[in-house]
Amino acid sequence: MLAFIVRRLLSGVVLIAVISFLAFTLLYAAGGDIARRILGENATAETVAKKTAELGLNRPLLVQYGDWLSSAVTGNLGRSWFNGELVSVSVSGRLSVTLSIVIGATLVSAILSILLGVLAARRGGVIDAGVQFLSLVGFAVPGFLIALLLVLVFAVNLGWFKATGYTPLTTSFSGWVASVVLPIVALSIGAIATVAQQVRGSVIDATSRDYVRTLRARGLSENSVIYRHVLRNAGGPALAVLAVQFVGLLGGAVIVEQIFAIPGMGQLSVRATTQGDIPVVMGLVIAFAIIVVVVNLLIDLAQAALNPKVRLS
Amino acid sequence: MFRWKATAALAVAAALVLTGCSGGGSGTEGSGSADRLTLTAIIGPTSYDIGAGAEYGNRSPFFQAVFDTLLQKDSKGEIQPWLATEWTYNDAKTVLTLTLRDGVKFTDGTPLDASAVVASLERFRDGTSPQAATLAGKEFAAVDATTVTITQAAPDPSLVNLLSVAPGLIEAPSSFGNADVATNPVGSGPYVLDTASSVTGTTYNYTANPDYWNKDAVKYQNLTINVLEDPTATLNAIRAGEANGAKIADNNTISEVEGAGWTIESNELDFQGLLLLDRAGTMAPELANVKVRQAINMAFDREALLQSLQSGYGTVTEQVFPKTSVAYDESLDSTYPYDPAAAKKLLADAGYPNGFTLNMMSTPAFQQTFDLVAQQLSDIGITVNYTDPGTGNFITDMLAPKYPATWMALEQNPDWQLINFMIAPSATFNPFKYEDPKVDAYISTIQNGSQSEADTAAKELNKYIVDQAWFAPFFRVQGTFATDANTNLEFWPTNAYPSIFDFSPKN
Repeated sequence: MLAFIVRRLLSGVVLIAVISFLAFTLLYAAGGDIARRILGENATAETVAKKTAELGLNRPLLVQYGDWLSSAVTGNLGRSWFNGELVSVSVSGRLSVTLSIVIGATLVSAILSILLGVLAARRGGVIDAGVQFLSLVGFAVPGFLIALLLVLVFAVNLGWFKATGYTPLTTSFSGWVASVVLPIVALSIGAIATVAQQVRGSVIDATSRDYVRTLRARGLSENSVIYRHVLRNAGGPALAVLAVQFVGLLGGAVIVEQIFAIPGMGQLSVRATTQGDIPVVMGLVIAFAIIVVVVNLLIDLAQAALNPKVRLS
Repeated sequence: MFRWKATAALAVAAALVLTGCSGGGSGTEGSGSADRLTLTAIIGPTSYDIGAGAEYGNRSPFFQAVFDTLLQKDSKGEIQPWLATEWTYNDAKTVLTLTLRDGVKFTDGTPLDASAVVASLERFRDGTSPQAATLAGKEFAAVDATTVTITQAAPDPSLVNLLSVAPGLIEAPSSFGNADVATNPVGSGPYVLDTASSVTGTTYNYTANPDYWNKDAVKYQNLTINVLEDPTATLNAIRAGEANGAKIADNNTISEVEGAGWTIESNELDFQGLLLLDRAGTMAPELANVKVRQAINMAFDREALLQSLQSGYGTVTEQVFPKTSVAYDESLDSTYPYDPAAAKKLLADAGYPNGFTLNMMSTPAFQQTFDLVAQQLSDIGITVNYTDPGTGNFITDMLAPKYPATWMALEQNPDWQLINFMIAPSATFNPFKYEDPKVDAYISTIQNGSQSEADTAAKELNKYIVDQAWFAPFFRVQGTFATDANTNLEFWPTNAYPSIFDFSPKN
């Protein structure tokens, strides 16, 4: 297993190196006149030229990338061109915010999708049709629309939650709850729709197997059959879908963080990309790539723990 | 049974926790009281280091909170003493002498004396802040602990005004070498940035400076400025009562803001329209003929453009000088009535009966504007050939210059700044360096004449460039700021964002 983990981590490093070069090249090509964008229309041509030189943007692409890479491997990701903050501080400060929303949404969607999927598979009939209908609605309604409706009803009209901003857990628990509940709900609905369908299908498939009939014949309770045996077998595909959903939720956070004005990685991504803040975008690319590599590795390990037939090789 | 009870109890407890959360985490406790003022802005500071990012406009509250300026504008826009208590010019208007307030200290305890002021002004002048060039060529000297002189080669009628905005911000020289100078400002201003609870680019929390020299001017103990770039998020914050004052970036939301019980304050600082840059016709020979430029001015239905593009929020205009300028003349706004037939005749008189093709830039962010401009010019026979310069290149290509004319939204600064921004031969937005002896003469009088001579010359200059159709302005855009029911505001007429000193609690 150790060799597997080391191999996966090494391939992750190569992946991150390739992604960083591609991202840097694309940003450089699409960046336009960064110094003018920083300074605005009031600056004279001389001031713009001075800023361009100060940022080192008058050097060749490969030299700039080489400089960035040599600093990045030492942990120095530079400073934002647009607000002077250390990129490592920008990204790490916002990582906890985004993860608290995305992990919350993943947990909520995992629990609810398992409950709904099992319920639909076991009860069938109207309940199954109802769960399938709700899944369809979850698929069909865009996340941003759900987010806007949630804000209007629960923040603006009822005043139960915050409409904008984020309160860190360390500052106030109730404030933190008020700031993350609506974004988590907005993010979860689409994921629940997807994973619940996957759980339902896997449970129906597993309950038709011979070993389930044998377990029932031995007199095990239905709950024991379903939750101790069927779910263990049905869990593999659901876990794979959940992993994909987790990565997808990181993308979904971009929209949700904009609507709720939450200072997370999604909001930072939008701002840095539209501004052309290359150091920040590069820091985000690296952070997202590391998250994806680690999550995929953890899911592989979890799959192996759930199902002994899965070999880590 | 027991499980249901437990579940119900948990649900009730959760509901109580969440209900208790309502507004609790909003940071608006004491909203409208003297405890906290919560504002929203549409953009954050690029750097607190005045040598790298000092800026007014929409970024002014961030700088006003932590730094003082040498002079200060009151709510009417009049210059008042601030760090400098007196200021006088020599007869040639080449040396400005400032007398500094005694005993002022920066928040790190170092003294704000003449040598600190000189160091700060030099840092701004030699740095890369957007307006750094406004202090170019000026020399600063500390005569004694409370006297500073600014020496310039020629009179600069904008200097006193500049010292009340970004170029006049004073930063502690002791902080110049700090690694976090961009994010942890040290000034002498009314507030101190709480870096621990602030999130750069998003939320800025300030606490009142306990040693501030002008405590009467500070009406709130705490100040929070949240950066909300998305107009929908701003509207939601307003509706949910999560702020006391908000910059409204989208005037289409004004009725909803008023519906939430908020008060709208407004001013007009920018104009939108065409810059007919190639007046000598080096790139587009047609534009060298004043009749062509006048015909272009007559092609636009300005009222319709204002309705379509700004929902009517603004005022149509045909001049680039703002209403606050001595050069402004309301009658000039009816120089070129919308008249496509007369415009066509002017084009024919100029030798272009079949019109011509004009190359301009477009950018997707303002597609509706570009479509309407092309359509109205097409009505008089001018075909617009648009090129998208790509992200981030619009202004760069305009100033290169790569196009003879362009649509643009430009600031309407005080007269001398405006002249050096878009009219003078060396102005940033005169990229073809077009020169007209008559204009040069007016500019010379404005720079060197007495106040009354300068005022008269400014009026004549404005009339002349309107008659010569240097520009084709459409309208001045309404800048909007909203305040909640608990907050008073006097919105100064000369900046996009209100002065933080002009907010006060109603009770």
